[in-house]
Amino acid sequence: MVDEVFELDADDELSLLETLDHVLDRGLVIAGEVTIAVANIDLIYLGLNVLLGSTEAVNRVLGDRERRLEFLHVRSLDASERGKE
Amino acid sequence: MRFYVYCLSDELKDEAVEGLKGVGGALVRVIAFGRLAAVVSELEDESVAVVSENLRAHNAVNAGVLARSTTLPFRFGTLATESRLAEYVAANEGSLVAALGRVRGCVEMGVKIMEKAKGKRQKAEDGSEEARSEVVLTDEASGAEAGASGVGRGTAFLLAKRREVLGDEAERRRAEEVAGWLAEGVSGLVRESSVRVNPSDALVVRAAHLVERARVEEYRGRVRSLGAERVELHFLTSGPWPPYSFGELRG
Repeated sequence: MVDEVFELDADDELSLLETLDHVLDRGLVIAGEVTIAVANIDLIYLGLNVLLGSTEAVNRVLGDRERRLEFLHVRSLDASERGKE
Repeated sequence: MRFYVYCLSDELKDEAVEGLKGVGGALVRVIAFGRLAAVVSELEDESVAVVSENLRAHNAVNAGVLARSTTLPFRFGTLATESRLAEYVAANEGSLVAALGRVRGCVEMGVKIMEKAKGKRQKAEDGSEEARSEVVLTDEASGAEAGASGVGRGTAFLLAKRREVLGDEAERRRAEEVAGWLAEGVSGLVRESSVRVNPSDALVVRAAHLVERARVEEYRGRVRSLGAERVELHFLTSGPWPPYSFGELRG
């Protein structure tokens, strides 16, 4: 069914989550030069897969990621239901 | 002073960033490093907050520059002094030029595929009675007879563990099958793919495809057709994006 394929609008909340997914997780990295702050706690990428941060901060970020995926899933299901109506 | 760094290109001119505003509303400019040039803006802060304004600004600059040239985008939050950036470019110049060649004329398109059945299972885990009963029925149908049939707790545990292991294996095979089917479906339309298979997640397959600009509509049509073939799957497509997933430096 064609309505099972969802495309994102630029201002959609879902597109923000997709943007987050693309820009936080991918792209060129200069070792030690990526410094982001989540809830005022600085996290520093040392390489593509190495991240320095407090356990609390890392847990929080990973928890956010899980919730993000869950939200993404629920939103797509909702959109699917709307498409069928 | 450190700069916020957005992307690198080998075909950038100052006009490519004219009028663009970046993180914190700062004006964006180009700094040349030999054959390559970086798109940067000034930033006083020591770190970059992960908030929607900054995320959108980062992507907007990269998308704006991408519309006028071929680029390799940096990860969100990259802050570097001009000398550190020069050092990075000098050390990786050959690989960066090669990577730009691979993505030239292309954009990144994203496809996420989820299984509907997993949605029901997740709802059950979240406490939805309706979905819980569906999952219980599924388990009974697959022979989960431990408990009521009088087996001991140890046996019940091992049966549950066996189901978990076999289930994981089946999910992995299923996810790989979906990934293979998608790859075949878009073959000929994508220059490169970056695919992650997540059998135990809500997302079964996360794929990024490098697609020539001129073929984006054709690609979208193909993905729509694929969505029509597999009604048991949910598709989420996005793009065009700057080639975030294809900046891998090889060699």
